[in-house]
Amino acid sequence: MKKILLLTAFLAIAGCSSDDDTEYQNLPIDYQVPSNFPPLVYDLSRNPLTEKGFELGKKIFYDGRLSSDGTISCGFCHIQSDAFTHHGHTFSHGVNDASGTRNAPPVQNMAYQSQFFWDGASDHIEMLSMAPISSEIEMNGNIIDIINMMKNDAKYKQLYQQAFPNAPIDAEHLLKALGQFMTVLTSSNSRFDKYRRGETGGALTVAELAGYSLFNAKCATCHATDLFTDNTFRNNGLTINPQINDVGRYRVTQIPQDKFKFKVPSLRNIEKTAPYMHDGRFFTLEAVLNHYQSGVGNTENLDPILNTNGTLGIALTTEEKAKIIAFLKTLTDEEFLTNPKFSEF
Amino acid sequence: MKKIFLAVLAISTIALTSCSNDSKDDTTATGNGSLKLEFDNVYGAADLALNTEYTNSNGEKVKPNNVIYIISNVVLTKADGSTYTVPKSSSYFFVNETDEASTLITLPNIPAGDYTKVKFGIGVDQAQYDAGADGQGDLWTTAALPSLGMTWSWASGYKFVKFEGTVTSTTHTDAPYKVHTGKTGSIYNYAEATLDFPNNALVRTNITPQVHIMADVKKIIDGTTVINFEEGLDVMGGTKVQQIMANNVPTMFEAHHVHND
Repeated sequence: MKKILLLTAFLAIAGCSSDDDTEYQNLPIDYQVPSNFPPLVYDLSRNPLTEKGFELGKKIFYDGRLSSDGTISCGFCHIQSDAFTHHGHTFSHGVNDASGTRNAPPVQNMAYQSQFFWDGASDHIEMLSMAPISSEIEMNGNIIDIINMMKNDAKYKQLYQQAFPNAPIDAEHLLKALGQFMTVLTSSNSRFDKYRRGETGGALTVAELAGYSLFNAKCATCHATDLFTDNTFRNNGLTINPQINDVGRYRVTQIPQDKFKFKVPSLRNIEKTAPYMHDGRFFTLEAVLNHYQSGVGNTENLDPILNTNGTLGIALTTEEKAKIIAFLKTLTDEEFLTNPKFSEF
Repeated sequence: MKKIFLAVLAISTIALTSCSNDSKDDTTATGNGSLKLEFDNVYGAADLALNTEYTNSNGEKVKPNNVIYIISNVVLTKADGSTYTVPKSSSYFFVNETDEASTLITLPNIPAGDYTKVKFGIGVDQAQYDAGADGQGDLWTTAALPSLGMTWSWASGYKFVKFEGTVTSTTHTDAPYKVHTGKTGSIYNYAEATLDFPNNALVRTNITPQVHIMADVKKIIDGTTVINFEEGLDVMGGTKVQQIMANNVPTMFEAHHVHND
């Protein structure tokens, strides 16, 4: 299914403005939904993408001044070369050396997702940033101070004016700018994508193709579509760490049936986003597949799909696991991981 | 009883004009005026006094020390059935028991006429959540004021009702309790109340009616659904929050009288 979103391409006639221009600059970003992707969830008509909106969002994303001690930016835990995760960190450390209890998820293809965070604490791309900015163990930021800081910063003043017509510097437009930046962080040019679209560079090996078939047979119920998530919450049978006792989705809903359920993550760039699972307990893809093969525990609310008449997990041979991993590595999108447009410097 | 003046929290100053669909008013009044909604918190039959002990139907004794709720999406209905909707971008108000000014909401630019009822929401509605940041203006910044503390940051949203204090019950003595409601996952928990005025509110260019609304905060925890703090001192999600917002909060308001002067 092809869905293409064409943003009005009235290319700014007065486009070549100097950098100290403080007028709104309507430079639309011609964002196109990759033809192998599901439709956008995010309604861009409420927040049309522009170059300046993206630029403002990027500046905010990489600005440590949002945090209470001036050091922790969004980009601190979401590093581009790791598909915007915190490489090697089971848990990330926020301000004052506080540590969280969940592994930082990637920031990619966000505009196609309907649920965010491991527990779905937010279901809107513009609202989600409230959580990490405010969280005492993450950025511990105070939105009142943040807006005041921006109002007294010449570059922010200029960028807000350029990004949004006649808009004040306020929380609404801060969140919209971040929404624009995150939307543009689209990973769609892995070898797998090119294979799916029949493009040059999309050749998969015999083993990778075999892995793809196995994946579709054994994994794709939950890791659905070319984004590899069905946006649901499930308990995949991880043993419960009593020291953390992370109740997952229950934290948000306090509905008993949601206990120990976590969001099905996308698998894009999975090779680059170790460690794995909501608590980063597995360091390798082999360990992940070993879990599904033989480590699934019958914990409260275990997903029924992992329990076939009392047999837990997914039947996988060593050879099959190797093929699935070979396939998963075709999801690595070097263009996304190295695109200078997304990088801090 | 609170009497002080307006605490309009204009969420955004965008000059959206009123969405009125007035057919003919039954009066000859013309022009615009204002209307005030006064939220007078009470506890059962008594005026609410913070840090004062009240006994609930289940025998638990509570001493509230913080009562804040969001009033939103105000719609006024005239005698002829036509309605006036306060523009959404300036329709979120935080009513805070410890800030008298916040308990008197002034609604400007109301078409003159005889109004018979008001409808409002308690909390942030699904349409606003679905719109993301769009139209929120300063809502986050306002909710984050230390005096309010109405962001629900772990859920990337807002507390709709905050009702805190201490409780003495079978096993607790002056133990701190917290009741926070808001959107929990895919359940929006937005409540609405419609109040008939006992006498018409006569909005004129030179008359600003003041609707005196009794808000019985006891009903938050001791209404159709009774919250037993013995079962847990914090109520912040699950079926209890759903029941509070569905069964209790919509019934806690009453338009007691209207001053037309």
